Amino acid sequence: MTGVTAGLSSKLALVVDDSAMQCKLLSVLLKQQGYRVVTANDGARAVVMYIKYQPDLVLMDVNMPIMNGYEAAKRIKALDKKDNLCPLLFITSLDSEQVYLECIQAGGDGILVRPFTPELIKAKIKSIQRVSDLYSQVKSLQQEQQKDAELAEQLMSGVIESRNFARDKIGILKKAAALFSGDIQLTALSPNGNLNVLLGDFTGHGLRSSIGAIPLAETFSAMTKKGFSLNEIIHQINQRMYKLLPTDLFLAATFVTISNHDKSAYIFNAGLPATYVFDQYGETKFQIESCHPPIGVLPNLIKDVGLTIVPVEPTDRVVLISDGIVEARNIAGDMYGFNRFERDAREALVQERNNLTEHILHKVTEFCQHVPQEDDISLIDIPCSGWEQKQRSNTPRFESKQTNHPGSEENVSWQWRLYLTGSRLAAINPVPIAMSQIQELEGRAEHWQNVFTVLTELFVNALDHGVLKLDSEMKSSPQGFLQYFKEREKRLKSIDKGFVDIELQCYLMPNSGRLVIRISDSGQGFDFDSYQSILNQEEDEADEACQKLCGRGIKLVYQLCESLEYFNNGAAVTASYSWQDE
Amino acid sequence: MALKKFVSDDGKKITISVDERFDFSVHQSFRDAYIDADTIGSEFILDLSKTTYMDSSALGMILLLKDHVEKSSSSLKISKPNDTVNKVLEIAQFHRLMTIER
Repeated sequence: MTGVTAGLSSKLALVVDDSAMQCKLLSVLLKQQGYRVVTANDGARAVVMYIKYQPDLVLMDVNMPIMNGYEAAKRIKALDKKDNLCPLLFITSLDSEQVYLECIQAGGDGILVRPFTPELIKAKIKSIQRVSDLYSQVKSLQQEQQKDAELAEQLMSGVIESRNFARDKIGILKKAAALFSGDIQLTALSPNGNLNVLLGDFTGHGLRSSIGAIPLAETFSAMTKKGFSLNEIIHQINQRMYKLLPTDLFLAATFVTISNHDKSAYIFNAGLPATYVFDQYGETKFQIESCHPPIGVLPNLIKDVGLTIVPVEPTDRVVLISDGIVEARNIAGDMYGFNRFERDAREALVQERNNLTEHILHKVTEFCQHVPQEDDISLIDIPCSGWEQKQRSNTPRFESKQTNHPGSEENVSWQWRLYLTGSRLAAINPVPIAMSQIQELEGRAEHWQNVFTVLTELFVNALDHGVLKLDSEMKSSPQGFLQYFKEREKRLKSIDKGFVDIELQCYLMPNSGRLVIRISDSGQGFDFDSYQSILNQEEDEADEACQKLCGRGIKLVYQLCESLEYFNNGAAVTASYSWQDE
Repeated sequence: MALKKFVSDDGKKITISVDERFDFSVHQSFRDAYIDADTIGSEFILDLSKTTYMDSSALGMILLLKDHVEKSSSSLKISKPNDTVNKVLEIAQFHRLMTIER
């Protein structure tokens, strides 16, 4: 009988007793319980056997030669640390409180006092085994969880965040409280040279908080690359997160666009601590507080709330922080707080330029000393310069202009048109739509970035100056840009008539092509004669005058295109862009 | 207990009072406090006067309560958050979503 049960079980018991007789007796009882048994006759031998066999249960006598049971138990338990729970049961004839205490002190998980019946020892072994089974169950669950967290961490840093743009220029600090942080940091470059940055903090920690990370990163990066505006990106992300995340899970986040072209930063803070704009001396120029509930809480964003536009100098920096920094506590329970953060940030910018992230990390660590970190610590430090659009100055030009003039309809390879009127003008940005048409028809290519710029400039001109009748003079100062933007928003909201008509015609030839962009609007046009003459002036003279009249936009379009012509007193424009296949 | 619940005599006013720490540890008892109550048209008051710490999972729990309140056409009011707690609510802009009485 005993042999059969023993064969079925993989559990191994180590019996330690200096009496061979006792060893034998206990072995028989254990075998009846389905254990295989090994024995040792003193404490020192028991430790050796324990290391060799890694048993599932130890029965230990107290008084033995060479090394007693207490010492052996201590050594065995020291070997195990927290990795493993092999229950250790003392068996003794000494029935006193002192013995009991010493057994537990030595690391024993229980004690049995002789004399006992076989039934009692079987019951005791069963109960102690129950605890140990529970322990190994917990342990394997914990290991699984750890594996999941490692996977999430790998996904986050290895897959999502490694795709971030300009990781060398933007200071990013991330110190997770758990292995996997609920914080996410994304950066991407828009085709017009604007930099988009996101710092997000999902509710909670660990795997649960990572559900939204992939769709968030995908939407952010894809929409930025297609040239959608920050507002459009935030709207889309909010809708996705609202549908995807359960009610109690959301994303506190700050979105930033740095536009060197507008000399402005666009900041949307939904549920994070204040975002800072520091000047080169570390003085706080602006502090943008949260003004919208976190992303994913409401089905749609609250109207007219959220986006702040501030003028920035090239030497300024925009710094985003998560609450883990300001709420980091020291041993007295004080929080690091905003005042210390501002002071240390100033110190960093004055003393050790460009090392804001390391300096703050050093200061926070110094402040907290050995208090364990409760929340994820995240910071992004964005310099406000160096994001100018890369221009391809050597745009390949067409050599045989005469033979394939854009006007010759029969040669057109395809043609696409979008006619937007009234309120749809306020709701729809046609540029990404047009760009995705071009890319679907002609495939992806780096030089489409030029087309994006041309389309954006021409469309914005048609909408702003043609339909909305805004005066570009307003934009001459950085403060004026803010005013311009507000006025633009106001007029867009009440727009009920007017149109912008966009037409693309593509002419494909062997190894080259031409895209003709025609945009017309319902406006009155403008003083395009003087404007045309500016375009025809020499580079240097033209620059200043052109900036005054129309910003750098049109000059850039002029440089990118093989031809640019205005009609109908400036209310219609035709731009011709050509390329050669690479 | 980290959480107390008082129901007025007519059963229409349900006050949930959270102790110092409002975080994931009270998740279950917080949910129990409202989920089974027969609460059509009741008035829920979330009393935070004793609360000194609140994290983002607490905000999540408040959103769940708000969901429940809306489904049972009841009302919800957050009552007496201290400065620290109010700061957390303010950063999350919860006053745009529900009534907060200081």
